[in-house]
Amino acid sequence: MKLFAKAKSLQTSSLFTITYNFEFMNGLIFDIKEFAVHDGEGIRTTVFLKGCPLRCVWCHNPEGLSPKKELYLKQNGCLGCGRCSIPCDHEECREIGRCLHVCPKNLISVAGARWEAKALADKLLTHKSFFDTMGGGITLSGGEPLLQADFCVELLTLLKGQVHTAIETSGYAKSEDFKKVISLCDFVYMDIKLADSELHKKYTGVDNKIILQNAEYLKQSGIPHTFRTPLIPHITDTEENLWEIKGIVGGSSWEMLPYNPLAGAKYASVGRKYFLS
Amino acid sequence: MKKTLYNYYIIDRLNRGMRVKVEKDLGAEYSAQGLSGEERMTRRFEYLASLEVPHIHKDEKIVLMRTVANLPDVYTEAEWTEIRKSHYIHELGYVSNLSPNYATTISKGLLAVRETANEYQVRMIDAIISLCDRYRAEAEKMGREDIVEVLTQVPRYPARNFREALQFFRILHYSLWLEGDYHNTVGRFDQYMYPYFKKDIEDGIYTRETALELVEDFFLSFNKDSDLYVGVQQGDNGQSMVLGGVDAEGNDCFNLLSELCLEASRNLKLIDPKINLRVSSKTPLSIYEKGTELTKVGLGFPQYSNDDVVIKGLERLGYSHEDASNYVVAACWEFIIPGVGNDIANIGAVNFPALVDKVIRENINGDFDTLIGKVKTEIKNECDKIRESINNVWFVPSPIMDLFRADKRYNNFGIHGSGIACAADALAAVQKYVYKEKKVTPERLINALDSDFADDAELLHLLRFEAPKMGTGSKEADDLGGMILSSFADALEGHTNCMGGKWRAGTGTAMYYLWHARELGATADGRRAGEPFGTNFSPSLFAQIPGPITDIESFTANDLTRNMNGGPLTLEFAAGIFNSPESIQKVAMLIQYFIKRGGHQLQLNAVNLEAMKEAQANPEAYRQLVVRIWGWSAYFVELDKDFQDHVMARQEYNI
Ligand code: SF4
Ligand code: SF4
Repeated sequence: MKLFAKAKSLQTSSLFTITYNFEFMNGLIFDIKEFAVHDGEGIRTTVFLKGCPLRCVWCHNPEGLSPKKELYLKQNGCLGCGRCSIPCDHEECREIGRCLHVCPKNLISVAGARWEAKALADKLLTHKSFFDTMGGGITLSGGEPLLQADFCVELLTLLKGQVHTAIETSGYAKSEDFKKVISLCDFVYMDIKLADSELHKKYTGVDNKIILQNAEYLKQSGIPHTFRTPLIPHITDTEENLWEIKGIVGGSSWEMLPYNPLAGAKYASVGRKYFLS
Repeated sequence: MKKTLYNYYIIDRLNRGMRVKVEKDLGAEYSAQGLSGEERMTRRFEYLASLEVPHIHKDEKIVLMRTVANLPDVYTEAEWTEIRKSHYIHELGYVSNLSPNYATTISKGLLAVRETANEYQVRMIDAIISLCDRYRAEAEKMGREDIVEVLTQVPRYPARNFREALQFFRILHYSLWLEGDYHNTVGRFDQYMYPYFKKDIEDGIYTRETALELVEDFFLSFNKDSDLYVGVQQGDNGQSMVLGGVDAEGNDCFNLLSELCLEASRNLKLIDPKINLRVSSKTPLSIYEKGTELTKVGLGFPQYSNDDVVIKGLERLGYSHEDASNYVVAACWEFIIPGVGNDIANIGAVNFPALVDKVIRENINGDFDTLIGKVKTEIKNECDKIRESINNVWFVPSPIMDLFRADKRYNNFGIHGSGIACAADALAAVQKYVYKEKKVTPERLINALDSDFADDAELLHLLRFEAPKMGTGSKEADDLGGMILSSFADALEGHTNCMGGKWRAGTGTAMYYLWHARELGATADGRRAGEPFGTNFSPSLFAQIPGPITDIESFTANDLTRNMNGGPLTLEFAAGIFNSPESIQKVAMLIQYFIKRGGHQLQLNAVNLEAMKEAQANPEAYRQLVVRIWGWSAYFVELDKDFQDHVMARQEYNI
């Protein structure tokens, strides 16, 4: 628990407690993407769980950071007509501060939808015939899915045996959460971004100690897995860092993900600023 | 291919500078002499062939290019008016959209064919031979012994090898265009050319590389004169090639030549020939991967068709198993039979959104079942009207084309079905909001439609972005789409056309996704007045599609074997998705899934939206940018702006 106390001192720490406030087993999802081709074996449908305790400066899913619903404003083609700012009486628009039902260009949406695990599993399994015929499966991603560990457990339990499942995680989670979730997954992708704890703090906002502990567990777990390192110029792609990560990874499979220069594209949509811009 | 050759025809287009325009008013001349149609066509052909001046590029192997720029009409305006009084004239009145049997002539030689030809055909054959002799003389002058040798053999005598067969094809295809026939398709090239190809490969005459180079040279020939071939837009010229597919016994016929054709198209990145790939549930993933490698370059090729569904559907329409198994596509996607087909696959089109709109407006105060009943009646009435309007179809005689069509066994008429998804969406929206949820009153809906949603932004948003639509995983919308498809087929089934053939219902739009839409006011699917429909059998432009799997499942939810006139689902992908071998494989799997689900036809695009934006601003820098339109591909900058805008507005999948 010491670690969590430490995390609290960071700007992002309060997020960590959110997980345990979900009274009903529903999750906050900011996207469901069909035909993800880089998220595991075969063709995947990727579920993006909202909320992340990290703040990687290169993060390309800014709408996945906050564990709350938020306004998502597409930047392309606004007519400046002002319709969305006229007060309306829709319940769902209140927390957003804009009307969701008038934009002629459909530029306004909410990042974050509440899903009950059962409803989400049913939805995902509508493509079961696809996965049965073609292979592939479901990948949980984020944000950090383990921030909603209990929800993941319930969802994965419902999917178990029906479809191949994978998770993409930063590994930053209580080890009991980490263990119980990955034990339900057919495959685990786990990031090792930076080996040095100080640099990790500097660029992701959190210490990497727990990540490294979970990595050790994963290596021994017998669950098929791959470690991943995003190659961020001058930050993670340094020879020193990669050399150290190689040591951490040991005999496990390890892949490096090239940096996507369009990563900052969505920041303005959620009113954030992109650090690497 | 040598860069000099490519540049000559494609980049610098120097061949175009050699053309002369025929100023003579042939129609008036022939009319004054009271000549028959056959005589006119024969005279014109002889005349134009005699004007042709041989030009051979020093690096080309397959020769023949046009130096006569235009074909003066063989009838006068006044004569056309007279003809139209008693006949139905399809498009320009000249035969089009047919798949000739080139193979028989290539294997016999023109002299043998001449033996059984009629007097007009004999004269035309002589004109072809004489033109080829002038080409041979030119080759001799240039010291091109290889060409001299080829032209000594063909077209007089049977082709003895692959190169002669290709040159022979070029001569015949060229002659069809010079006759004035248009949308002259290529057919199952990899099948009828295979014996020549195989023999030469086995004899060691070609390696894979040198054979590929020859195929590329041959492919280039489709692009030498294509700007002279008329269509709705530049590029709409029907030079469709069909690769792969099963034979009558069900064996998969994809061969090394099929593979080289895919590769040649990929290397050249030219809009002709248009590549179609026949596949079936038996097709291995590796073939889809080869197809996807071609999709990647952005030409919008290949277009896939599903043998399992198409052959069955054609048999239902009365095509024999053997003929159905040999199907090809006409200019775009209409399924036709080479050699023995005389179908007019694009004789009319039903504007489904307009019909549905009319029914909604007239019946919105009754119950939903009655409204659906009215939709069916309206579809039937519209089809009856189209059928009754088409009588006494007449074509300008085409002696050369007739050489390649032994018997005209099939005389079926095809009707396009335009805006099927928009129409189904409009019904689905009404069903949900007006009838089930009663969230929208009939008055509110009609007022909004009448005023083009001017005062009801919320209803526009609801209908346009939130309502159930085909492609979004809505069972209701898919079922309504199915209702339209089957009502359309029912309305045409059992009727005989004026040529003794049947009527075929289709899922294609051709240019009607713009033309029909232009005339139509706002519709209940949230489409605003004048806004286009999706092309062919595709979702509306503003459907909020979760992804390509849902899209595919929606457009394969209904049995399509009764809507066999053709018209594909189109999937647009951001070009970047094709960048890794892994994602190529995954796109290939997606296509395979579509085929296994019983989809009939599929077309994929790799879209580069940024390039299109820049091309609009700076056309000169983007002269080679190719985009897919509705059944053909075009140079983006040569398109009218409304066609450009539509391509840019289509739904696109990213990774
Ligand atoms: S309603 Fe849409 S187009 Fe109009 S101002 Fe708001 S975001 Fe812009
Ligand atoms: S862990 Fe992933 S989601 Fe969280 S901030 Fe880092 S990159 Fe973004």
